[in-house]
Amino acid sequence: MKFQIPIGPQHPALKEPISLRMTVEGEIIRDADLRLGYNHRGLEKLAEQKTWIQNIYLTERICGICSHSHTTCYVQGVEKLMEIEPPKRGQYIRYLVSELERIHSHLLWLGVAGHEAGFDSFFMYTWRDREIVMDILEIISGNRVHYGINTIGGVRRDLDEQQVKHILDSLAILRQRSEYYQHLGTNEPSFVARLAGVGYLSREDAIALCAVGPTVRASGVPMDVRKDDPYGIYDEVPFEVCTAETCDVLGRTVVRIKELFQCYNIIEYLLKNLPTGPVAVRAPRRAKPNEVVSRYEAPRGENIHYIKSNGTDKPERLKVRAPTLGNYAATIKMLKNGFIADVPLIFAAIDPCICCAERAVALVDARSGQEKIISMNALKQLSRQVAAGNARKREAEWPL
Amino acid sequence: MKIGVFIPELLRHLFKKPATVDYPFQKLEVPRDFRGSPYLRPELCIVCRACERDCPAEAIEITATNEAEKRFRMVIHNDRCIHCAQCVDSCPTDAMQMDTKFEISDYDRHNLKMEWEYVRAVVKPKSEPKTS
Repeated sequence: MKFQIPIGPQHPALKEPISLRMTVEGEIIRDADLRLGYNHRGLEKLAEQKTWIQNIYLTERICGICSHSHTTCYVQGVEKLMEIEPPKRGQYIRYLVSELERIHSHLLWLGVAGHEAGFDSFFMYTWRDREIVMDILEIISGNRVHYGINTIGGVRRDLDEQQVKHILDSLAILRQRSEYYQHLGTNEPSFVARLAGVGYLSREDAIALCAVGPTVRASGVPMDVRKDDPYGIYDEVPFEVCTAETCDVLGRTVVRIKELFQCYNIIEYLLKNLPTGPVAVRAPRRAKPNEVVSRYEAPRGENIHYIKSNGTDKPERLKVRAPTLGNYAATIKMLKNGFIADVPLIFAAIDPCICCAERAVALVDARSGQEKIISMNALKQLSRQVAAGNARKREAEWPL
Repeated sequence: MKIGVFIPELLRHLFKKPATVDYPFQKLEVPRDFRGSPYLRPELCIVCRACERDCPAEAIEITATNEAEKRFRMVIHNDRCIHCAQCVDSCPTDAMQMDTKFEISDYDRHNLKMEWEYVRAVVKPKSEPKTS
């Protein structure tokens, strides 16, 4: 006997609105379907009406957790369009903030994983330690969530000796805490037993379904934009791509804890080799007609911005592919043949950011399953056609 | 591997100070470069409108009240402001500044509006305003 269970769009297990429909046989999920579109904000259209500088702050607001990822991805692209190169010190500070953001995102995720696995004290402690890195970000940029450190042609704030010392001191505490969490992971059997074997995604499936970020790395595929297609300063910074072979939620946890240590190493390297000089160059207000694709390894995976300019001070098109969208197909695969009770854990393991991923609206024919993207004008025409053909409704009366 | 590895950590924290502060009575200090609300120093404003043009939230409005006397009025709609401090970066004369207030909520959004009426200043910009 098969049942269909809807979870969401509003559900305590989900932090953001998304609709999951699962066909279950007893406790086992046989088929899953994702329905998106509950959090569409029209950001891409809005970006076409704002100038290059204004769009930095707009792209920053695509996501709260990876706000710096989106601006860096956008700014890298715009710098290529404008043919300017930010100075070395500016680049070092920019990618320093990106690594700090990766630490804060991974610590946040560890807490969420603990919470979903029923280990709430772990959640409290990781989030308390996350405050240390949030404080560093506030000291560097002046704000905790939307750092606003990027500008076209460099960064907006410089670092002084005192700040560098503060960051290094705080990092020592964070490193010590992360070592403790690593020790905890290897020694706490109940936590490990909850995560192991949940949400299995084989290496072949991870590649075939185009998973990104820690999800694909946990399936043993060393895929990282920072290594594969180095942007900015990543070709001169030594670091390793962290992978795990277990292909489950435990593997995704291990990858993130390993990445934390890589982040500490990168930050120490960046601060010790911080070049002197200016932090930004002057950017023109207009960009020549051209198009560019910018890639960036966000904490959640590969982030892609496609930017097209037409010679004015506004972009003609800005297309954002957030990492969560790349992971949706793999999530469905992970959910299949799992238990209903594992849904929040599997879903949390891709670190979903729904509002990042919601871009265009596609219409799906419920009977044939055909999908099409429809323009506003076509939609209006369709509505007129339906209204004209519907004689019965024309006689409808206003009930009040 | 043993059961209850986390317990020593939990017990240790029974004797530690709370990680949070007692907020309304005790406040955290904001960092030096904190981005609070923007304000204008009218004696420095040369009305180049760089802030108005670059504001991503369209929160700054400059209108001429008397063209002949070169009197202008600037309104900062703090209800729309996203506290990015781009106006401070765009300003060629340091007339725009950020304060360090963070308790700025109000019952009415119109109370958040700030207004200045002033005569255009004659100050040499430290750099050319960013024009196209």
